Amino acid sequence: MTDQADLLPGTLDLLVLKSVSLGKLHGYGVLLRIEQISGGALQIQQGALYPALYRLEHQGLIESEWGLSDNNRRAKYYSLTKAGRRRLGEETLGWNRLADAIALALSARPQEA
Amino acid sequence: MGALARLHSLVRGLFRRSDIESEMREEFEHHIELRAADLEREGLSPEEARRRAHREFGHAEGHREAARASRGLRIFDELRFSWVDVKLGIRMLCKNPGLTLAAVFALAVGIPVGMLPIHFESVLTRPLPEDDGDRIRAIHYWSTERNVTEWPTRYELDRWEEELAGFERIGAVRPEQYALADDAGGAPPFWGAQATASTFDILGTPPLLGRTLNRADESPGAPDVAVMGYDLWQSRFGGDPDIVGRTIRLRGTAHTVIGVMPQGFYFPRNEHLWIPLRAELLTEPGQGPAIQLFGRLAPGVSPRSAQAEVSAAGQRLAREFPESNQRLNAEVLPWGLAAWGMPAGGLRAMPGMFIVYLLCFVLLLVACANVAMLIFARSATRFRELAIRSALGAGRLRIVSQMFVESLVLAVGSAALGLIGLSWALRRLQGWILQQDQADATYWVDLGITADAVGWALLFALISAVVVSVGPALKVTGRRIQENIQRAGAGRSGIRFGGITGALIVADVAIVVTAVGFGIGLWDRVRDSGRDTAQVGIEADEFLRTALTLPVDNSGPVPGVDAFDTEIESAAFAARVGEIQRTLVERLEAEPWVRGVGVASELPRMGHQSARVEVEGETAFQDLDFLETLGRWPAVVQADIGYFDGLEQPILAGRGFNEADLEGEISTVIVNTTFVERTLGGRNPLGRRIRFPDLAGGSGTPDGRLSPTLGQVSAGTDPRWLEIVGVVGRLGTNVGLPEYDMAAYLPAAPGDIYPVALAIHVAGGEPESFAPRIRELVSEVAPAAVLAQPIRLDRVFPGNYMLFLVTTSGLAALVLILMAMATSGLYAILSFAVSERTREIAIRTALGASSASIVGRIANRSLGQVAFGAVLGMPLAGWLFQLAESGADSTGVSFGVAVATGIGVVVLIGVASGLSPIRRALGIRPIEALRSVE
Repeated sequence: MTDQADLLPGTLDLLVLKSVSLGKLHGYGVLLRIEQISGGALQIQQGALYPALYRLEHQGLIESEWGLSDNNRRAKYYSLTKAGRRRLGEETLGWNRLADAIALALSARPQEA
Repeated sequence: MGALARLHSLVRGLFRRSDIESEMREEFEHHIELRAADLEREGLSPEEARRRAHREFGHAEGHREAARASRGLRIFDELRFSWVDVKLGIRMLCKNPGLTLAAVFALAVGIPVGMLPIHFESVLTRPLPEDDGDRIRAIHYWSTERNVTEWPTRYELDRWEEELAGFERIGAVRPEQYALADDAGGAPPFWGAQATASTFDILGTPPLLGRTLNRADESPGAPDVAVMGYDLWQSRFGGDPDIVGRTIRLRGTAHTVIGVMPQGFYFPRNEHLWIPLRAELLTEPGQGPAIQLFGRLAPGVSPRSAQAEVSAAGQRLAREFPESNQRLNAEVLPWGLAAWGMPAGGLRAMPGMFIVYLLCFVLLLVACANVAMLIFARSATRFRELAIRSALGAGRLRIVSQMFVESLVLAVGSAALGLIGLSWALRRLQGWILQQDQADATYWVDLGITADAVGWALLFALISAVVVSVGPALKVTGRRIQENIQRAGAGRSGIRFGGITGALIVADVAIVVTAVGFGIGLWDRVRDSGRDTAQVGIEADEFLRTALTLPVDNSGPVPGVDAFDTEIESAAFAARVGEIQRTLVERLEAEPWVRGVGVASELPRMGHQSARVEVEGETAFQDLDFLETLGRWPAVVQADIGYFDGLEQPILAGRGFNEADLEGEISTVIVNTTFVERTLGGRNPLGRRIRFPDLAGGSGTPDGRLSPTLGQVSAGTDPRWLEIVGVVGRLGTNVGLPEYDMAAYLPAAPGDIYPVALAIHVAGGEPESFAPRIRELVSEVAPAAVLAQPIRLDRVFPGNYMLFLVTTSGLAALVLILMAMATSGLYAILSFAVSERTREIAIRTALGASSASIVGRIANRSLGQVAFGAVLGMPLAGWLFQLAESGADSTGVSFGVAVATGIGVVVLIGVASGLSPIRRALGIRPIEALRSVE
């Protein structure tokens, strides 16, 4: 439990976009992918994933289609749209800049102040 | 791109809601299955795995709602209402039957009244029942000077037929009366019309037998022909299949029947025979008789462009003939409007009618405002429920839309009730109109409720629902949830009736007081003018009024008689009627209980026909200002020469009628004192000459019921001058407006007046008790005659008196409705105040506050508003009272009585609305109340 970090507000959308950018996924797949790429550090309340998926689809950042899953059941697969890819790029850049800035700020020592 | 995607997703969410819901369900289910399978692989039992997968997933319904919200659908979800909401609405309405009844009553009256003028307008603008009837349009002149319809003449018909390209054909009709004889020697006349051949092409109804008129029939030298209506063919000729080719005589000339029209064809109004409108060579407008013009719009031509063309044509005529046409607007309009003498703009364009529209709408608004107040008060008492609902997640919009549904149920239900009532009333009205005068029946008028009217009622219901629900709902839900729950816990809503409700009560009471003042004035005035001997000229309660008619003949063709001559037959009819009248009057006068008998076309206190009069040597009618023209519309009465004696009316100046007045053509007239004052400006009337140019079918024809006397008086283009030989007092010829009670009496020989209207002066006892004796006498004199029920003259309410009666009863009903509304509104507020302040009242009572101070605390504000409303309404009421009373020289109700009644009404409203809440407040027991609140 201590290894897991709370999601910052607004970061769930970014994570969903990232995981979908790596290949078509159904909802449960997105959840597993986020856990996988975060090394198990980020866990998402499962049902809460869906409002985020629908929101991104509503914004035209991801799109969905029905297909067959591994267990041979009908499942809805999400993939990134062009707009989504562009947004992912922008958000990643913005996030990195913020993270760098915060890391820099946090690494400041008394004599530098 | 983003915007497009959003729109697509929104539209899909709105219109494919169930698809999306089932997809979501499937997706969630799939997710849980996969998770359960993973957990099973980790070693959990299948049941345990599934249970845990469900738990981890969380509340599916909540996720679904969040998902819909993320699609931007939340606002629509909140506004969406279902059958459950409707059921809940009905349940809430049933829970408060008192409030529901008050609200239903207000809206069931307000909605139909609000839409009534629109309904009447739609009745009159409805297309004719003929094929493509909406393309048939009347063309008339609207006189901007006199605000009346003026029909054009043959001159315009011929000229416009060539000039106007927007019409396929133009036609014209000129209604007039004909008579055909029967075995008994005469029968009542019926309506027919001179018509152009194009009339039948424009209407597009093919004949049942033979042919209709053609162009050649119109030429001056052509053989005389006639087209017969179905009813006439059936009743007079027994539906004779060989009728075509037979000859009838009309106006002294043989006419060949060339065709029969099918059942249901009565154009233009209620006509049964059509003869050609002969072509005449006229050189300017205004010459010759007025004719009713109409045409069929050419294909692709809109009424608007036809109007533009006709306006231009009218302006050309006005330039060429400024004298006659300068103040006339040529208009294209639905036939119904023109036939009812209205301008193209309809009722709304009539002077004064806009006020009627406004008043009707204001009543609806007042009704809505009061219902809003009731709903507001009730919502406030539901405060705890609303607070809990919003705490459970119902959004503000959701609660508002729920309250809207409740109001919509209320408004639609009330509108339906109102429409049923209105439909019933209109049917009664139509039946009543038909009963009053069969000849005025118009085949294309149907007052019944149409789909249009239902649409309007629904629209008004919707508006009402918005007005009554949204304001209160927003106000009740306007606080933060937490605050609401705290207040609800403390047993009060914290809602205050603000300025708007206060203003509403003030306005309500002011309107009630105003209406009471006006109503009393009007009622008093009507009562006086209807019953006062000073107004009517006779002791109306000593007179019986009845009328004699001869039965319509339905016996079929007269064997062996092929030819009828209207002149000869109408003379025969008149002779027959005259003989009956003479004998009956003689027999009646011989009865010991009869003081006198008068025969005239209209009797005192009844509706009179009036007509424009020209006075020799006086300013021409068109140069008078509007008020002066009112003095030039006297009632025209045909009176038997013994009429004034029979009514014991002294001749105030000059002489009465005598036999010499009936010899040759009519040339004398007797006028009343008001005529001398108003029309002649008080100058000596004797020897002066007057004439009636409009009686013969020109514009302003009273009702076209032309007897031989009136025919003589107004024959042709040169109406006869009549010399004033005598003056009589007022005889109730205009009881509604006694100050304009001008009358001109023309001498009429027995037989000229039909139906024979009799005023029988009874020497003593209850006049109506002699009715059986009168029947006996009539059955002896003329067994076949039909006698109208003899009624005491003061109990007859026809004509404008009826109109006033209807207006006053309408006003009285309005006052009662407004009173009921104001009372219920005030009641709602007071009872709300009591329940809100139960705790406070309990504490005060416990601390020893007196009853008076408690009553004062609760009712102070509301009673102040009532008093303020009354004070505001008083001056207006006084002014309207004076207005209604003006001109009536009566000693009726005084202004003081009106004021006292107004105050009484206000006190009544206060007591009726305050009694129960105040009793409840005084009955509060401190200990119980405080315990229950805690």
